[in-house]
Parts: sequence; structure tokens; C-alpha cells
Amino acid sequence: MSEVIVITSGKGGVGKTTTTANVGTGLAQLDKKVVLIDTDIGLRNLDVVMGLENRIVYNLVDVVEGNCRMKQALIKDKRYPNLSLLPSAQTRDKSAVSPEQMVKLIDELREDFDYILLDCPAGIEQGFKNAIAGADRALVVTTPEVSAIRDADRIIGLLGANEVKRTELIVNRLRMDMVKRGDMMNINDVTDILAIDLIGAIPDDEQIVISTNQGEPLVGSDCLAGKAFANICHRILGEEVPFLDLEIKSSVWGKLKEIFKKN
Amino acid sequence: MSKPVVLKSNKYGINLILDKDMDFEELLGCILERFKESEGFFKGAKMAISFDGRKLTQEEEFRIIDTITDNTSVNIICILDNDALREELTRQKIERFEEECSGKTGEFYKGTLRSGQVLDCESSVVVLGDINPGAKVISKGNIVVLGALKGIAYAGANGNEQTFVAALEMDPIQIKIGEIIGRSADKPAAGKKRIRKAKVVVEPQVAIVKDGNIYIEPITKGLLNNI
Repeated sequence: MSEVIVITSGKGGVGKTTTTANVGTGLAQLDKKVVLIDTDIGLRNLDVVMGLENRIVYNLVDVVEGNCRMKQALIKDKRYPNLSLLPSAQTRDKSAVSPEQMVKLIDELREDFDYILLDCPAGIEQGFKNAIAGADRALVVTTPEVSAIRDADRIIGLLGANEVKRTELIVNRLRMDMVKRGDMMNINDVTDILAIDLIGAIPDDEQIVISTNQGEPLVGSDCLAGKAFANICHRILGEEVPFLDLEIKSSVWGKLKEIFKKN
Repeated sequence: MSKPVVLKSNKYGINLILDKDMDFEELLGCILERFKESEGFFKGAKMAISFDGRKLTQEEEFRIIDTITDNTSVNIICILDNDALREELTRQKIERFEEECSGKTGEFYKGTLRSGQVLDCESSVVVLGDINPGAKVISKGNIVVLGALKGIAYAGANGNEQTFVAALEMDPIQIKIGEIIGRSADKPAAGKKRIRKAKVVVEPQVAIVKDGNIYIEPITKGLLNNI
């Protein structure tokens, strides 16, 4: 039985695409058959973050319009044979596909894959409607900023109205030093406002920038963000995993600095 | 009695419907007369010709063609038969002819192509600017980029593998020539490579098809003589 998960946020730039790439790769590492669909027609990114841009010949719009078969458009990942990507078109816009066509497309993929991840575009217009049309489950990504949370709240409302059965929250780009100083909301503040289940918290990590630039998802690697993404994958499969301690242990040098600061 | 010679145009050129009983020499005169009448219309035209209504020997067909080409400015490229197989072959031949033409003529495009933009040309094209990642140039002929090619270039879009893609800075995501696709090498997985590359001296390169593969080579005199 396959599950269709949409990764959405409302606001742009909070990490939907990065999350899709890492969660998808993480699920593939756990031996699941995964397909990632980029639904951001006209502003595609997922292929770049996955490092598969140079393999694109056909795309989602070609499949929907019948210019090619599904098999021709799916790109097998270079690292994991059970991970595929259906890229979006760059030269068209959101109106090239309708929600009904998306549902049909997803149903076709359900037979071959355990997890179908949809990378949703920012906004609540046609692209969003396309992305959530066939989804069983939603991961709402937000950062601990008022603007992102406001948009996430609106998105959660829309997801409920569109009968997406299960909605869970990912808090991205947490900076524990700022939380400690009281300059940033902590996870509890965010979950209090949004009142949905938390499925993961990801620290702000410069490794993420490096990994997206290189087109190599960092899930499963040794850094904190990599571990946080791996944990989300386990939780998606229904396993109970304790939340990471995101606190960065300060070095001796750092402690010395703090002492001097206090004086 | 209806006219001994009727001219009908079709997709590729002209269909001559001939009287089947008339004496051939006489008919030849009629054909010439008909073409002379329409001289202004046909002036300098290139076309394919087909015959209908009368069985002609090969010799007769050639004589008709000679008469037309010698006495008018019409250029006849080929004789078309009316059965389907021949028609298919002729279609291919005509397309190849058009293709050759497209390799010889060209157009200019001034400006940089950004992500999502597509430049589709019937003939060869010279782009005065860059092709950014996510942008695409499609041409039935050759593509020359006076700038950096970082997007997708598709030369010989109707299947012609004799075409080439040249650029001052060659760093494409994909190049397609005819039906052959080449894609850029994957970046090495090892983490040492920095995203901001140091400026290196780049030389103009050209992509051509050799033995069913796409090769990218520096532009040298010897290479240019071969394409």
C-alpha cells in the first residue's frame, strides 16, 4: 500500500525542496521504493538539489500531455536504484496541469512505489491545488518566524478543508543559540500556535547549504541536520524515535569566551 | 473535351493531370504552354512534380521535365509517383533538402536566454549572449553561442546529425544533436569541490557527433574543415 505525501509550507524559502530531497533519499536508504515529484512547474528546483538536472529529457507536463510514457520521464537516482524523480517543466506554468490530471498521474505511480513525495510550490494558487490533490498525508514545513508560521497556519486550514487525512509539522532552521537568548521561538512555541503533531525539528546547519549546492542530499550523514532528517524518515514509517538534542556542545574555548563575556 | 493538361498543386509541388489519348509530342506542347501561362506565378520556384491520367515511360517523363526546365525558370527537384511508399521516400528527400538549406542559412538572436526561455529556430542560429541553466535553444541547423552555453542546446532538431553546437564557453547541461543526447558529467561526490569556481581561462569549443556519440573539442582549423 503506497502513501502519497505532500511537502508544503505556504511561504517560500523555508526548505520544502530540501526537505523533499532529504526525506525522499532517507526513505530510499531504508529500502523503500520512492518517487519524488516536483510540482513547481516553471520554477523547478528539486532536480538541481538532487543533482539530476543533466538527466532531464521529459517532464511531468510531457507525461500529462501524452508526449511520452511515464517510464521515459522518470529519472533513476544515481545513488539509490529504488529512488526516482519526476521533474517538472521549466518552460510552462502551473496552469499546464489540472488537479484531476495530477490525481490520475499519482494513481498510475501508486502501483510501483511505496512512497510518493510531492514537492509543493510556494503559495496557495493552482500549483498548491495540483500538489495536494492526490495527497494522503502532508508535511508542513515552517521556520520559527512569525511570517512563516502565519502562512503555515493558513496552509494547515486549507489542507483540512481539502480532506488531507494527516498533517504533521516540520520546524526547520532552528538556531538553538538564538532560542537560548530568547530571540527565537522554540519548538513548543511553534507547536502551541499551530496545534498539530510535530514530526521533526531541523537545526540551521551550514552543511545543508553545501549539500544543496552540490546536489547531494545529506540525510544519514554525521551532522545534526542529517540525523534530524533520518529521524523524520523513521517517524514517517511509524517508528518511535526520540527527538534529537539540538544543543551544540560548546567547546572549552567557547566556554572561556562566555566567561569573559559575562565579566 | 476537357483541357489536355491540368495543373494541380499539392503539398510538395505540382500534379500534372494529362490527357491519356493525345499524341505525346502534341501533349508536350500543351504542357509547355500551360507552364508558360503561369510563368509569373511559378517564377524561380522549386518543386516536385507528379503525373496522373496517363501512363508515361521514363523517357517521356524526362522529356517533359527537360521541356519545362529548359523553357521556364521552374526548378524541378524530383518526380513524384503516386503510390504511398514512393511518397514517403520523396517526403524524406524533400525534408532532407530543406534540412540542407537550413544548414546554410541562419539568423541572429541578441540577448541572454534565462531559465525557462526557449529559442526555437527553423534555421541555424547565432546567439549573441549566454544560455543560462534551464534555458534551451532548438535549431534545425547549427547553433553558435557567442557567450557561455550553460543550458540545453538542441541542434539538427529534425534528426540531422551533421550539425554542430559551438560556444565560447562550453558548460552545457545537455546537448542534443539529431537524436543523440549528451549530458554533462556529474560533479564528483567528494566534498572538496567549491561551489564558487576559481576563474579559469576557457577556450571556444564545438560539439559534434562522431560514431554515434557527442564529442566536445576545442575549435581548431583541422576540426572546422571536417564539419
